[in-house]
Amino acid sequence: MSSTTTLTEKPGEPGKPSELGSGRRLLRGLPWLVVRQHRIALACVLGLTLFTALWIAYERHELVQLLDARGWPEKDPGRPMENNRGYEYITNVINSLPLILAVFVGAPLIAGDQESGTAQLVTTQSVTRRQWLITKLGLAYGLALISGLALSALFTWWWKPHRSLFLSEWIDGVIFDNTGPVLPAFLLFLTAAGVTIGALVRRMLPAMVGTFLFTSVTTVFVWDEIRVRLGSPHMFTYPKDTELPARFHDVHELDRWVGSADGTLYGWGTCAEATDEAQNACIEEHGIVNDVIEYLDYGQMATMQWTAAGILLAGTVVLTAFTLWWTSRRPL
Amino acid sequence: MADTSTPNATSGNWALEARGLGKRYRRGWALRDCSFRIPAGRICGLVGPNGAGKSTLLGLATRQVQPTTGELRVFGVPVDDPAVLPQVAFLGQDKPLFKRFTVAETLRMGAELNPGWDAAAAERIVRAGNVPGDAKVGTLSGGQRTRVAFALAFGKRPDLLLLDEPMSDLDPLARDEMSTLLMAEAVERGTTVVMSSHLLTELEDMCDYLLVVSEGRIRMAGDADALVPAHTLVTGVSRDGSLPPELAGHTVVESRVQGRQFQAMIRPGGPLPADWERAEPSLEEVLLAHLRSPDAPSLYTQGARVDAEGTQAA
Repeated sequence: MSSTTTLTEKPGEPGKPSELGSGRRLLRGLPWLVVRQHRIALACVLGLTLFTALWIAYERHELVQLLDARGWPEKDPGRPMENNRGYEYITNVINSLPLILAVFVGAPLIAGDQESGTAQLVTTQSVTRRQWLITKLGLAYGLALISGLALSALFTWWWKPHRSLFLSEWIDGVIFDNTGPVLPAFLLFLTAAGVTIGALVRRMLPAMVGTFLFTSVTTVFVWDEIRVRLGSPHMFTYPKDTELPARFHDVHELDRWVGSADGTLYGWGTCAEATDEAQNACIEEHGIVNDVIEYLDYGQMATMQWTAAGILLAGTVVLTAFTLWWTSRRPL
Repeated sequence: MADTSTPNATSGNWALEARGLGKRYRRGWALRDCSFRIPAGRICGLVGPNGAGKSTLLGLATRQVQPTTGELRVFGVPVDDPAVLPQVAFLGQDKPLFKRFTVAETLRMGAELNPGWDAAAAERIVRAGNVPGDAKVGTLSGGQRTRVAFALAFGKRPDLLLLDEPMSDLDPLARDEMSTLLMAEAVERGTTVVMSSHLLTELEDMCDYLLVVSEGRIRMAGDADALVPAHTLVTGVSRDGSLPPELAGHTVVESRVQGRQFQAMIRPGGPLPADWERAEPSLEEVLLAHLRSPDAPSLYTQGARVDAEGTQAA
């Protein structure tokens, strides 16, 4: 391609052949610009999503074949998910997706343009600052949504029919956060957080570091605490020294208590004394006749997931509104 | 006083019109109580020392900065109206461009984001500098990048072109080339140009209108041809080491007593004593005198000033 031919082409004129090919002509104006600017990030995230999606489909296919061969669910299939490399890798990828989107897509989204001055370049063309910001946010959120919806749907499709075989409980982060509406909401929220941190910091590298720390703290410490508080726990009382009924085996146990006949609850270790005599005396004294289990059951999962998604989406809306307000009142 | 700078009263003939314009940052006022007008079709130099408020003024005109007080109109339209956007092009000091875009993609951006894009003009400017279209912007030399930035600005077909120290990082050859390009394009289209610069000689060659800013205020505004002749450089005998009382009838911009002699830059308010030696100062001398003496009264040529109500103060 010689410089002359490139330059004599008129990029703005429809109907003329362009060296960019006809596929890209679908995009015009600002969407073209933000896709062109972020095409590497876009390709990486979409590529990773596609790769993981295909891998999930493959792993599920393998599992179904294995289970068919072993006559599941009538017969015991063994433990097909134990030491399952594919499952480990896939969950690692999905678990790191929020971090990738927040740090590499969210944080540099506005901070990068502010640092390099291209924010000024774009907003001194014939587009308003708000139009530009909305297009940029649209790209980042669109990416988070596509990636989140696709992987969540496939992971749910893999896990849900076979959940008894998976080693993780439904309340564990690896299942709860990566299925249903939670994964897309999570990706949206953390992307928005990255964008907000970037808009505040206005420098790409500090924004990325800040977003990394925020994402790590949120996913590792804060969210684990929030997740188990999303459902209201149930209580089940059964006579002391009897087995817990089998239907409670797949509930998520939050706490155990001991209780007296009048319903007073005492901590599980209340009568953990050194000798049997002392223990019996303690049990007599408090009138303990029951064991009590406080739990979340699987039936609550859907409600909890939608509650989680609601909280995260509300957070996304708040962060987005703040970013738009903040960046519109300050020089870029 | 020369009257060439005064179009008739319709505000569309004023490329830029400020009334009580001010911008306060956390550290203080960057620009305060500025009222001026720049007529359409002129090449206006924006002069002032560093931190005088030149960039803030250009930032206000390009909507990068929002005013704290007052208003700014571009061809009669308030600057916060999006209708202003296609009319104004801006070239910042560091001429930001997307480094990973090719030159052709950069021009395509211009086409995609500007309704009145003139592809032929933009390509002509780029081609004249032998800038290859498939080269990444990041690999171009400073002069080539400036040329691409100019192409982007002129391809927009702006009525008002704002330039913030456009030549500061160019070597003399590229600077000359860009000045020629700028003048040729601006004259051909009748584009109003407002350019800030440190280089007084550059301004003397290119600009026919001046806006002098210092410490956030307008010091002088008006026709370059009228501003300079309004000043006289006088030399005479001092009285006991101080300035002669005859100066009181004139506006003294700057004065200096040296031994038995005094020298002053004045705007004569009447006939001058016959024993004073007088000389016409150069533009540079007038500008420097005003920049050195921020307390000297401001000077507006006819039409350049607007009072707060918007009526013309003659």
